[in-house]
Amino acid sequence: MEKKATIKQEKKLWFKLDLSANVYPTLQRKNFSSVFRLSVLLKSEIDPVLLQQAVDETLPRFPTFQVAIRKGLFWRYLEKNTRPGPYVQPDISNPCMPMPFRANNRYLIRIYYYDRRISLEAHHSLADGSGGMFLLQTITAVYLRLQGHSISNTAYVLDIHQAPNNEELEDAYVRYASSKVCPKRTQERAYRVRGTSEPFYTLNIICGVLSVKEITQVSKSYGASITEYLNAVLLYALLEKQKREHPYKLRPVKLALPVNLRRFFPSKTLRNFISMVYPTIDPRLGQYSFEEILSQVHYYMRYYITDKFLNGDITTNVKTQQHPLIRIVPLFIKDMIVKQFYTRIQDKQSSAGLTNMGALPVPKEMAPFIERFDIYMGQPFSARTNCAIGSFEDVLTINFASSIIEADIEQLFFKKLVKDGIHVRIESNRV
Amino acid sequence: MSYCVHCGVELHETSKFCPLCNTPVVNPRSPLIPDEKKPFAPKKGQVDRVRHSDMAILLSVVLGSTGLSCGILNFFIFHDSFWSFYIIGACILLWVFCIPFLIYTKLPWFLSIIFDGMALVLYCGIISFSHPGNGWFVGLAIPIILLITVLFLIFVFLLITFRTSVLSTSIYLFMEIGFLCTGIEMLIHQYFEEKIYVTWSAIVFICCSIIVISLFTIIRRSRLREAVRRRMHI
Repeated sequence: MEKKATIKQEKKLWFKLDLSANVYPTLQRKNFSSVFRLSVLLKSEIDPVLLQQAVDETLPRFPTFQVAIRKGLFWRYLEKNTRPGPYVQPDISNPCMPMPFRANNRYLIRIYYYDRRISLEAHHSLADGSGGMFLLQTITAVYLRLQGHSISNTAYVLDIHQAPNNEELEDAYVRYASSKVCPKRTQERAYRVRGTSEPFYTLNIICGVLSVKEITQVSKSYGASITEYLNAVLLYALLEKQKREHPYKLRPVKLALPVNLRRFFPSKTLRNFISMVYPTIDPRLGQYSFEEILSQVHYYMRYYITDKFLNGDITTNVKTQQHPLIRIVPLFIKDMIVKQFYTRIQDKQSSAGLTNMGALPVPKEMAPFIERFDIYMGQPFSARTNCAIGSFEDVLTINFASSIIEADIEQLFFKKLVKDGIHVRIESNRV
Repeated sequence: MSYCVHCGVELHETSKFCPLCNTPVVNPRSPLIPDEKKPFAPKKGQVDRVRHSDMAILLSVVLGSTGLSCGILNFFIFHDSFWSFYIIGACILLWVFCIPFLIYTKLPWFLSIIFDGMALVLYCGIISFSHPGNGWFVGLAIPIILLITVLFLIFVFLLITFRTSVLSTSIYLFMEIGFLCTGIEMLIHQYFEEKIYVTWSAIVFICCSIIVISLFTIIRRSRLREAVRRRMHI
């Protein structure tokens, strides 16, 4: 009897999409999916059989990743996926390619191996970078344990013998949105990079490998943190590019910077919990020197990235989602409206995306096996370039993912770093 | 270990050129190591195709069983007329229309349009079997379906081959409407009076031509085109 009850409970398992996850499936096209990639470079070659075993053992601990996405009448939802898979596969040269919901046995994650690298690709409707990092590090830890090493369950590694905690599966936005006012969502249109689109889903990756010590030294000499410094360099590169194009009308240059809300609200969720801020430089006010850009970014981030302002932002979104009129509108109408809002307003609000996952902690015993982590933001929605940063011990990686042929933003960015005396090593999938 | 002479960044051992500025790497002191593992996998991935087989099977079974059961009912119980032929014909028609979407998605577009036309002819044939009339099937139905199929083929061909916008699509559409009306009227006169001439369709044709010419002018004149875009944007 009891067994029957548990089976029933297991069968009933489904999740509402969390607040920001609702947007990503509506943008799904034949040639676009919001997929991001996290990868870890180990020090010895990957054994696919062991990796598959590690994935099979780990995934039950992460029920929000073992799902299929389905359409309801009013909202989409995630449903437990009992089909076989996901299977590890040899890596490909075009990461983050589109992920049709009904292919791949309906799984929304892919796991690749190549040489010494394990890569995890996940659809953004399941999790954000931090949530994905928990899965990737746990898989890596289980893989290393299968090789006979002993790894503790600390940092991003979860105990696979434990039952999933309810707090890990919750929609944290709803829980922490408590502001009494809702700030406006729309902003001014930003400068947009123009480039020649690559043919059908080619993703150009340019990866810069730096030393954390060097970059800390340089950013300290400017009186800023690493994130602020790299933000300023990217803004500087975009401003230079706009200037070179001699546009008829200058536009402000803005970055879309996702902020990990777990830093401000004590949630353990493995799903999306990010909010966007937009550091901006407006060249119409006059020409900015690099130091001025950096100090503007520095004060902007200190001013806006606080729990109060972020609370206001997420409250706006939660209030919209919970509005009774919006809830009773059928899904296909919501899809049309959200898609229009995204392509006409949201997407035009930023010139490039930049995400920094910061220094990634790993369990003490796992550190000797790991060389570095790579984070890829995935295919940009419009023709532009996105930048993702992460560091492990002394290795900082900056990964640009772009769907355009030109690489001048990347060139301006890395040239500025070289000029500031930082040694940069470049790897790319461009051939 | 080479550095890009232009950007000053260190490059991977296997890079033949700098990924940032495309400057080729020439370094006699440290030649390329082609056997070295590249930093990214060399093989390109393909997106998994979505399988429609479940829907295709369901559709075939539903349509097939409907046709079959109606046929049996007609043959054994209600056998005063051939009413089941209409239903069987409709099932075949629906099935053929669904081929490019569900059953065989790799079918070339022109073949699927031709099949659709053939299915329409078949359905009209079934109707003419019950109501032979005075040769309307051969004299009128087949030529009109043929005309529609050819015009539709041309329309799709134009959309696929040339760059399309709302304006160019409407040019094609109005051109097709003009030709379709003229063709239909000529076929009707030929069938009833055995003479080919046009009356009302000439007016339609002239109207369509005027619209096509003005749209064409708008497309060719960039200033006009932009003005129309500004005023009509949604």
